[in-house]
Amino acid sequence: MSPKLIQVAALIAAVCATGWVHARLPNETRTDRGEAFVPAPHVIEAASLGFDAILADYYWLQAVQVAGVNDVIDADTASHLGKLVDVVTTLNPYVDHPYRFAAVWMTHSEEQVRDANLLLERAIEFHPEDWRNYFYLGFNQFYYLGDFEAAASALEGAVKNEGSPAYLPRLLARLKSQKGDIDVAEIFLRQLLVSTDDESEIAKIEGALDEIEIEHKARHLDRAREAYQQLTGYDILSVGDLIRGKHRVLQKLPSPEPDSMPASLRRGSVWELDREGRIVSTYLGARYEVHYSGIESAVFKPDEQSERQTKGPRGQEDEPRDG
Amino acid sequence: MSHVTDERETIVRVCDVVKDFRPGFGLRRKRILHGVTFDVHENEIFGFVGPNGAGKTTTLKVLMGLIRATEGSASILGCDVAESEFRHQVGFLPENPYFYPFLTAREILDFYARLSGVPASERARRVDQLLGTVNLGHAMDARLKTFSKGMLQRVGIAQALIHDPKVVFLDEPMSGLDPLGRKEIRDLILSLRADGKTVFMNTHILPDVEMICDRVAIIVKGQIRHQGRIEDFLPEAGRKTDVVLGGLPPETADSLGERFDLKMRGLGDRVELQVAEKDVHQVLDSAISAGAEVVSVTPQRNSLEDVFLDAVRAGGAPE
Amino acid sequence: MNSLSRIYALANNTFREAIRNKLLYMLLGFSVVMISSGVVLATLSYVEVHEILQDMGLAAIRFFSVGIAIFVGIGLIHNEVDRRTIFTILSKPVSRNEFLVGKWAGLTFTVWLLLALMAGAFAIVSLLAGAPLGLDHLVAIVLIGLELMVVVAIATFFSSFTTPMLAALFSVGLWMIGHLSRDLHALGQQSEVGTVTTMANFVFLLMPDFEVFNKTLEAVHGLPIDSGEIGLAFVYAVGYTVCTLILGAMIFSRRDFK
Repeated sequence: MSPKLIQVAALIAAVCATGWVHARLPNETRTDRGEAFVPAPHVIEAASLGFDAILADYYWLQAVQVAGVNDVIDADTASHLGKLVDVVTTLNPYVDHPYRFAAVWMTHSEEQVRDANLLLERAIEFHPEDWRNYFYLGFNQFYYLGDFEAAASALEGAVKNEGSPAYLPRLLARLKSQKGDIDVAEIFLRQLLVSTDDESEIAKIEGALDEIEIEHKARHLDRAREAYQQLTGYDILSVGDLIRGKHRVLQKLPSPEPDSMPASLRRGSVWELDREGRIVSTYLGARYEVHYSGIESAVFKPDEQSERQTKGPRGQEDEPRDG
Repeated sequence: MSHVTDERETIVRVCDVVKDFRPGFGLRRKRILHGVTFDVHENEIFGFVGPNGAGKTTTLKVLMGLIRATEGSASILGCDVAESEFRHQVGFLPENPYFYPFLTAREILDFYARLSGVPASERARRVDQLLGTVNLGHAMDARLKTFSKGMLQRVGIAQALIHDPKVVFLDEPMSGLDPLGRKEIRDLILSLRADGKTVFMNTHILPDVEMICDRVAIIVKGQIRHQGRIEDFLPEAGRKTDVVLGGLPPETADSLGERFDLKMRGLGDRVELQVAEKDVHQVLDSAISAGAEVVSVTPQRNSLEDVFLDAVRAGGAPE
Repeated sequence: MNSLSRIYALANNTFREAIRNKLLYMLLGFSVVMISSGVVLATLSYVEVHEILQDMGLAAIRFFSVGIAIFVGIGLIHNEVDRRTIFTILSKPVSRNEFLVGKWAGLTFTVWLLLALMAGAFAIVSLLAGAPLGLDHLVAIVLIGLELMVVVAIATFFSSFTTPMLAALFSVGLWMIGHLSRDLHALGQQSEVGTVTTMANFVFLLMPDFEVFNKTLEAVHGLPIDSGEIGLAFVYAVGYTVCTLILGAMIFSRRDFK
């Protein structure tokens, strides 16, 4: 064998051996391993050495990846996203979308919502002309924190800016007078729905709108129950009483599931009375409440939460039930 | 070669120059020059002679402003060597010169001409002319990285002369040259003097010095040991010539010994005579008329070397 | 006038030497690849695609031009001494100050030319990708040019008295401090010890502040850049360069070339 041939053979052998070993070495990233390390924003900003813009992009791409890799955004993932976006927006406060991207997910606890609001306030500081940030902030204040005054003042910022939807002043007025009814929540959610292209965000908002739809139906049943009581002098024993017997007040019960739900996905949910005697759909397991009450009192169980993550904003005292 | 040097203008004046170097941080200072003093006069070729490491190049670097004297003063054309403006009148060839390898001979000379303030109108002509003078006309547009050591030496000489300076400093100008090249450089240096320039030359090659220098200073271990006109090292009166004769009749030999002051030595059928230079003619005449055959006549000319070797041996260690 | 023409000759020669360095073309080629790679990077995000593309481009420009400025600059003076080319130059009517300034000017011009080439690549990539391109981008790149001028002065300064290795270390270090100095200053201000605050102020004034020349965010997001601020940045760059070169010349003039 000529020396040259030996050399080439050695090279091939070395390449194969190195490749074989490399293929067997663990190659997951820290994010894959679930290590949600994000440096402190002010540290990374100081250490950016003039490369802050591209570093912001790097952390933003990481956030996109984290959101994309996880089918379910649980409380931990949401807070990881929040930290990443905090870094992104510290390095480059002029970014636009990341603020609302984070705010949408950071809804697992009051603390998280307040962190999200800090991000939105930074967004407002650097984009004072963009009504959407005010709107998201108002929504958070109203929907999760139940602070109607703060929600109204945030919405005032939205109304003042160009491009805000025509019904916003009406929403604002209702917020100021009626405070937290589900119509306000519905208007908020419908607006959020048209202002986003993100599929998982859309699914999340649609879930919340489903809950409102079922709440509308449950309120309809409440009114029927009152009529029943006035008619008979006593309360129903089961929801079915409303359509049975000679005192029936309704022809037919509304579907306990969202009307838009395709038949194939229906779980056979029913209307029933819960322990406190309220009419609930087993689809949700509890009555809808505008979420401020929920966030503070709810005991969060991340596994159960995660099962229903696409269905709606968190915080309800609902026990997911299957079939 | 009858220069009356003392009346000439002093071109270079070095006065009690001391140079200390610190070999490194915290190390003791080392004295390289111990109060060097000498003058170079107008239109002479001055030989600065010494063994390797004696301080020749250090002295020259002080004169070129490349290193600063620790003590003492040095001036060229009456200007302190720390200045730079007067240097358009000074040319310098460093030892083993090196130039930007990516430039051609023409480009590098143009560069030096610009630095020396040669007017744009004259530059091209000067460059062509000088490259011709140093026999590099054929390699004008070749990159310097392709040049041999001898060619680089010629480029070095050309750049030293590009701005037609009054004084030229040459550090080992003959090094790296073949015998033919050395002869060319010698002729060039002589022609510089003929043009009225002053030449300062560092060297340790004594025959070159004897051949062309007007005055010499010998430096040993950082001190000047001897300084003066080349003739002073070769006293006319003391010069001897070796004459070898064949077939010299004994009686003629005896009479020569009586008439002249000479040493005589027998070499078989030949005789070697050591004759004072002034008597050579008469001795030869007498010998030839007595029927002797002249084998060789060799003047003894090694006195500079003697002085030099004596100086080095006597140098000791001036610490 | 003579002095200027000598500086010009030295600068011109420095430029000629620098552009013969093959490393330069490798780095230039690599920077163009990096500028273009913004296109790929941007596809990873579904929003702000143009911003990411341009962030990447400007970051690559800054990274490579500063890298070239430092790593060519550190050998600038040292190589001349090491190869003894400085002997013949200083034997001509060239003062050491002129020599230093000439070397600095030559390299600054070289990196400016490279910056212009990179900016051209950036503009082409932006136009092909349909990203907006405006005066802001030009301003951001000109400011990088000012930063380079100071960086070259710093590299020249260190090169005038130390080895390339140490000069690289010091130059990179000082460049990093230049981007950190505002944060260090802010940190110092938070201290309750008076001397620490004073020291922080002193260091902040002494060290370069390279964040002055960082208008990447503003350019990419199309935000207004105050023209007064650009003017001040220009004066700051010139001032800092002059100070650095004078200090360098002071040290350089005392050097012995053995």
